Amino acid sequence: MITTSNLSKTYNDVTVLNIENLEIPKGQSFGLVGNNGAGKTTYFSLLLDLIQPSTGHIENNGVLVHESEDWKPFTASFVDESFLIGYLTAEEYFYFIGELRGQKPSDVDALLAQFEDFFHGEILGQKKYLRDLSKGNQKKAGIVAALIGNPEVIILDEPFANLDPTTQIRLKGIVKNLAEKQGVTVLISSHDLMHVTDVCERIVVLEKGEVVKDLETSEATLKELEAHFSQEAEV
Amino acid sequence: MFKRFISLEWKQFRRASYFQKGLAIKILLFLAVLYFGGAAIMLGVGLFFILKKAIPTVDPIQTVNNFLIYWFLFDLLIRYFMQQLPVMNIKPLMTIPIKRSTVIHFLLGKTSISFFNFLPLFIFLPFSIVLLFQGYPVINVLCWFVAMVALTLSNNFINFLINKDNKAFYGILTVLVVFVALEVKGVFKVSQPIGQAFNFLYNNPYVAILPILLEVGLYRLNFSFIKKGFYLDGAISKKVKEVNATDLSWMNRFGAVAPFLKNDIKLIWRNVRPRQVMFMSFIFLFYGVIFYTQEVYRDMPAMLAFASMFVTGGFLMTFGQLVPSWDSEYYKMLMSQNIPYKTYLQSKWYLMVFAVILSFILSTPYIYFGWDIYGMIAAGAVFNIGLNSFITLYGGVLNRVPVELNAKAKAFSNTNGFNPTQLLIALPKFALPMLLFYIPYKLISYEAGIIAIAIGGVLGIIFRNYIFNIIESVYQKGKYKTIAAFSEKK
Repeated sequence: MITTSNLSKTYNDVTVLNIENLEIPKGQSFGLVGNNGAGKTTYFSLLLDLIQPSTGHIENNGVLVHESEDWKPFTASFVDESFLIGYLTAEEYFYFIGELRGQKPSDVDALLAQFEDFFHGEILGQKKYLRDLSKGNQKKAGIVAALIGNPEVIILDEPFANLDPTTQIRLKGIVKNLAEKQGVTVLISSHDLMHVTDVCERIVVLEKGEVVKDLETSEATLKELEAHFSQEAEV
Repeated sequence: MFKRFISLEWKQFRRASYFQKGLAIKILLFLAVLYFGGAAIMLGVGLFFILKKAIPTVDPIQTVNNFLIYWFLFDLLIRYFMQQLPVMNIKPLMTIPIKRSTVIHFLLGKTSISFFNFLPLFIFLPFSIVLLFQGYPVINVLCWFVAMVALTLSNNFINFLINKDNKAFYGILTVLVVFVALEVKGVFKVSQPIGQAFNFLYNNPYVAILPILLEVGLYRLNFSFIKKGFYLDGAISKKVKEVNATDLSWMNRFGAVAPFLKNDIKLIWRNVRPRQVMFMSFIFLFYGVIFYTQEVYRDMPAMLAFASMFVTGGFLMTFGQLVPSWDSEYYKMLMSQNIPYKTYLQSKWYLMVFAVILSFILSTPYIYFGWDIYGMIAAGAVFNIGLNSFITLYGGVLNRVPVELNAKAKAFSNTNGFNPTQLLIALPKFALPMLLFYIPYKLISYEAGIIAIAIGGVLGIIFRNYIFNIIESVYQKGKYKTIAAFSEKK
């Protein structure tokens, strides 16, 4: 589904990302971990054509991301709060995104109905603008908005951060369901090793912009990741 | 402690993103400050002589006293509209051992060094000095001056108290309008009793203690008000507003651009800055009055063409020039969404066209100045729709300054969404119609000039698809730069 080749991004002679080859098949739940500055957000920004690659390219379902916009209809994302429109209510935002993705209000309503317990009564019917919601609730709204319009690729940058424990667990259920049952390719980055290993079939560790580990998730993965990062801490 | 606060404020000022902008902006700002300051000083110096010449029978100080009430009411209005509330970042200060009262004193003290308190000084001080040179009694002038400063500061603190409520603004506006109307009609001159009060103050210097007491009283009031609300959920933090949702589904008839149009309406309605701009653009409607009433310009119809562009183009120029910037807070999202750039631009275009048409309807009273003027306004409206709208959109791509939607623009630090290229791109918006008018006017007739302007606009409307494509490609090219610039400030 997503093919990355010879991709690099350089700012003033400092290479922040350098991925020779990375293949993410359709329907995979893909986890990206790494310390701050490892290049996770840079990679996602490149995937969304928000920044230009210095060399190489990303192909999303056969579409060259930085050349054509045809990847947009089947790709959805929530990277940070700047993806929200602060002066809208959550409902208005969902309908707006729905309209952009060619969904009728009734389609959006049907989708939202599935996430009632995820929202935990704090998103819909609040009479509050998104900018006045708490960080966690903003995140919930953003994540669900990324699911509108049956996208085939969903990109979530640190979706677990700022969420309360109950919501984290629910989110894991949602992501698993998307990848396993609906064949959606889900890309997630996280600092929480436990969550990623729970959710993702495959985990890639980035370090200073390079892929240093590419693991098929198994019983041993969490241990391995913990060992890897505690080694970092000792050095 | 105050010293530390001041150094913090200084750093905030020095390190603010607008300060690290180009030299050109700094120079422009400096010139603007110089200009306004200079104009104020000139007015202050000249006021005495102007008044003496205009109304020789009345002592200039009395004339000034008579009009002070309007001055202060107007001052309050402007403040309400422009002055930013002194929001200090109190969160980090709440948990460290500093007395609350110290912080509040600092906060309030900070408001008194606002531009809005200095501008009156620039007028009153030279005026007072001139008075002294003219041999007016020192004590009286001095006390009068002190009283003026005290009243200015009182306005400052009143503004702080009422600024949270829109009703206060309309209240003051109504009072001002009613007073002016009554004054002009000669029914009741509010300037007389108030003027007498100020004269009394001038003649009896000890009365100056009253404004000072007023100021101190207002200060205390503000102090206790803030002290009560000195919690995160209190008065200083931003208020969470209840949503006012209106059903805009009737706009769906606009097809593909409808979602954006609906969004833009909400953007204007629910955010401080766009509302401010809206209000400004409304004021532009009256721009024509300045020009059409002056005989001088009757002989320079090119200047009338200039004014006519403003009458219907206020919104287009004030709102339009910040086009991608309005969406800067969530630009990344728009760029990764499934939307054609063209639709996005078209929706902005529709919005501007709608505003021009609305302004044109509102400008009907200009018929009073004659059909030739009104014809000019009509031609200007067509030109605004057909060409200026596109020039504005085109200029937008050069504008990569993020706009904070829900913060008022500050006077003189308003580089938020302002840059020199903007000025350059604004030039053809007036120069072009003036030229289009002037040549046929000289060669053929006044009517020919009007028609030339209108034709310019019509051509733009006819070729709009072609123009949209050009603008779209320019936006596409600048996409990454724009995204990077918009996400810079946080």
